[in-house]
Amino acid sequence: MTVPTDQHKEGKKDVTFRVFRFNPQVDSKPYFDDYTIPVERGVTVLRSLNYIKEHIDGSVSFRAFCQAGICGSCGMRVNGLSQLACTTQVWDVLAKSREPGIIKVEPLRNLPLIKDLIVDMDPLVDKMKHYSNWVDSTMPEAQMGKKEFLISEEEFLRYDKATDCILCASCVSECSILRANREYVSPAVLLKSYRMNVDSRDAIHEQRLAELVKDHGVWDCTHCYRCQESCVKSIPIMDAIHGIREDAIESRGMKDTSGSKHAEAFMSDIEKKGKLIEATLPIRTNGVVWTLQNLLPMAMKMIMKRRTPPPPPLVKSAKGIKIFRKMFREMTEHVKQDHKSHKK
Amino acid sequence: MKPFDIVIVGGGGAGLYAAMEAMKTNPALNIAVLSKVYPNRSHTSAAQGGANAALGNKAKDDTVEMHIFDTIKGSDYLADQDAVDVLCSEAPKIIRELENMGTPWSRMEDNTIAQRPFGGAGRPRCCYCSDKTGHTILQTLYEQCLKKGVIFFNEYFALNLSVSGSRSNGLIAMNMKSGKVEAFPAKTVIFATGGYAKMYWNRSSNAAGNTGDGQAIAYRAGIPLKDMEFVQFHPTGLRKSGLLVTEGARGEGGYLLNKDGERFMSRYAPEKMELGPRDLVSRSLETEILQGRGFDSPAGKYLHLDLTHLGADLIKSRLPQIREMSMNFEGIDPIEEPIPVRPTAHYSMGGIDTDNQTRTVMGGVYAAGECGCVSVHGANRLGGNSLLDILVFGRIAGHTAAEEAGKFSPGTISEAELAEQFEEIRGGMHTSGRYERYGELREELGQTLALNVGIFRESSLLQKGIADIAELKERFKKVRISDASDVFNTNLMQVLELKNMLDLAETVAAGASVRQESRGSHTRIDFPVRDDANWHKHTLATLVNGKVTLGEKPVTMGRYELQERTY
Ligand SMILES: Cc1cc2nc3c(=O)[nH]c(=O)nc-3n(C[C@H](O)[C@H](O)[C@H](O)COP(=O)(O)OP(=O)(O)OC[C@H]3O[C@@H](n4cnc5c(N)ncnc54)[C@H](O)[C@@H]3O)c2cc1C
Ligand code: SF4
Ligand code: SF4
Ligand code: FES
Repeated sequence: MTVPTDQHKEGKKDVTFRVFRFNPQVDSKPYFDDYTIPVERGVTVLRSLNYIKEHIDGSVSFRAFCQAGICGSCGMRVNGLSQLACTTQVWDVLAKSREPGIIKVEPLRNLPLIKDLIVDMDPLVDKMKHYSNWVDSTMPEAQMGKKEFLISEEEFLRYDKATDCILCASCVSECSILRANREYVSPAVLLKSYRMNVDSRDAIHEQRLAELVKDHGVWDCTHCYRCQESCVKSIPIMDAIHGIREDAIESRGMKDTSGSKHAEAFMSDIEKKGKLIEATLPIRTNGVVWTLQNLLPMAMKMIMKRRTPPPPPLVKSAKGIKIFRKMFREMTEHVKQDHKSHKK
Repeated sequence: MKPFDIVIVGGGGAGLYAAMEAMKTNPALNIAVLSKVYPNRSHTSAAQGGANAALGNKAKDDTVEMHIFDTIKGSDYLADQDAVDVLCSEAPKIIRELENMGTPWSRMEDNTIAQRPFGGAGRPRCCYCSDKTGHTILQTLYEQCLKKGVIFFNEYFALNLSVSGSRSNGLIAMNMKSGKVEAFPAKTVIFATGGYAKMYWNRSSNAAGNTGDGQAIAYRAGIPLKDMEFVQFHPTGLRKSGLLVTEGARGEGGYLLNKDGERFMSRYAPEKMELGPRDLVSRSLETEILQGRGFDSPAGKYLHLDLTHLGADLIKSRLPQIREMSMNFEGIDPIEEPIPVRPTAHYSMGGIDTDNQTRTVMGGVYAAGECGCVSVHGANRLGGNSLLDILVFGRIAGHTAAEEAGKFSPGTISEAELAEQFEEIRGGMHTSGRYERYGELREELGQTLALNVGIFRESSLLQKGIADIAELKERFKKVRISDASDVFNTNLMQVLELKNMLDLAETVAAGASVRQESRGSHTRIDFPVRDDANWHKHTLATLVNGKVTLGEKPVTMGRYELQERTY
């Protein structure tokens, strides 16, 4: 299909698509190819890529299926930001483009590259399996189909937004921790885990949670907000992450300090890996402010709650909160220092 | 590769339900699901409206019997009544089953599954999850399959069945990641590859991959296809892409206008206006365009769906999806300007001929979902009945194959056969003497189908369509694949899909030209009325010596006698 031209309207613009190329069979390293085509208003990045593939270079490889923003196939980085090619308007991107008339198209990050704009999704699927991203129903299979669970609107709303996720992996590509540690659970998987955990039909909430608080799990998240900011379905992913943490503290308590231990381990990670901070700096500031405003009072709330019977050993809780405080002090210090070194 | 008990081709709703049910029926079986896209990407995810079941949550007096009658009437009496019995009686159970497994259905005030009215249904029985019903059903099924440990071969493109005499040995498929052609010897094969309406290309609401691969594979293996001439058109597709603008836009009070600014529906349905039945509204839009009252654009003729009088507030609060779509895909904000629309090919009623247990004529080969034709939709599918179809018959397919796998021995697929297949698909990569561009052929196929085998059909148009398709098939022999890589060759995949569409287009046009009546979605200008005496029957298209050969099959009747279909 040609990119149609409604010249009577706004005319068209010549746009150069700078496309990331890599064919593992012949290329030792990736490179970019430039394709310049006329594009009119209303044309998406995907339609432009289709045009290039059909008229200029059939070997440019990318995934696309529904072309309507629902299947999640066409996630890629457009001028550095992970998004769906099929719902991204070329003219909108141009308006914000740093280099006039040029749109850079690259594959998603944090997943193994296969070819050109195609990355391997299997690691994400493996994580969904690892963290039991399914409802393990309280109802035995043999009983199914006979009667409905009664679910309140209130419960439905708890996971409604999370079920919008189309597994496009844009958030995965933007996640700052994944860049340093590919084993990290991933924002989309945290989101799905949360969605399962708040479903009253599910029977393995504890088991899933136990997995989530281990290494590479929920405590590794830095609250940098990048995932949420890049989510193509505007899902409040941070609510899910926050929710899992709150749940972990509430139901596993400070007696199991794995959470804070991991947080500590993570802090030392940051200390060792300065580059991590660098990569996440701009939004990290957000994250810390948010963390101080939200997570700390939340932890306090938890401890207050625990005053009611059966009272938990106070000393342990206090220890927990100390570690929390220490962590936040440390993080703030880091950010401040980094700000300074950045300004230099 | 070790032979499989069951190979399921397709990871949409039908394929995933089949896999789950087969594992449930016999956990010892060795089952594989092949899909050309990751299962969660399948087109089932695009279904917004919902799935029908007479749960009686909303209308307490709804019954399975009423659902059966609505479906048979909707089908213009071409559905097999015993099959419709199965579809509708299983409906409440299967919707609850999904609920029990975690599908996030929207809820009524009394916390039961929510239901809403849908076209052609006498009671509000369409179960939904906001406007993402298909997506959430597909997610649930995929999650449950992961839980059960179903073995997936993702991004494998099925090429052909390996057949000895009248027996299937299993499946041959290309691994997209490596480009290798691999054998899947199997006792049984279930096709669940979805619909073929994408052959109308940018006059279709379907995903790029709804190219009827399973139907084409079955057809090439000598299995008959049924009722291929029945393709449902939706009245409002976006002009450029064919993507769907849902009925909601008209439900909220949108107008359909021609280039003279006239609300032309007053001519065709003075009472219901824009809210008439789908096929009638589609025919009305098409008539306006044919009679020269459409707008012109390089992307084709179109009409206006005008929402501007509804005001920014209503559009923003009630129709945000539609607004987003027209901004994303037409660059038009419906608050300020009307949306350019025209009818779009939406659903394929026809498919691989099966019995009520999803068996095809070939032992050990089954088909379910949009790629199969039982038939429950006859000449016209009701909204909300397709999701139901893929669930109910997907499950039956999984169960039947699991029960019957023991009856068949796995065939062997020789290295020579694989090598031959490999050579065949790679032919297009030898560039000498190959100059045809697949994009052009595909575009022309879509155009000739929309024009000559579209909403309005007529003998001379159909002859033109048939000739065009034959010519395109000839030109296809010279098609060029410009990507020489083995790794993830999407260029090659698109060419293989085009081949499948060309094979099937022939059967659609042939069926349309032989059926000299108008029934459901099939409208013949030269035979404007339904002709029960001669045409109350299914057509069967079989490939014999390289040519489409038409046969017929009686419609199974039951409690409901033939009646005129009026609304
Ligand atoms: C826009 C839109 C809205 C709709 N809304 C509704 C609605 O509200 N209610 C309703 O009931 N119906 C609706 N439908 C229809 C319904 O969504 C489909 O009929 C149904 O989802 C088809 O499901 P399926 O499992 O048969 O196939 P699909 O979901 O299409 O899955 C096909 C599978 O086969 C695989 N496949 C195909 N070819 C190959 C190959 N060569 N090799 C390997 N794998 C292959 C694909 O990868 C995919 O996994 C709608 C359809 C559209 C287009
Ligand atoms: S908040 Fe940052 S670190 Fe945490 S999951 Fe999101 S992107 Fe990753
Ligand atoms: S959470 Fe959002 S960005 Fe991440 S995979 Fe899901 S839809 Fe995509
Ligand atoms: S192609 Fe499906 S989301 Fe873009």
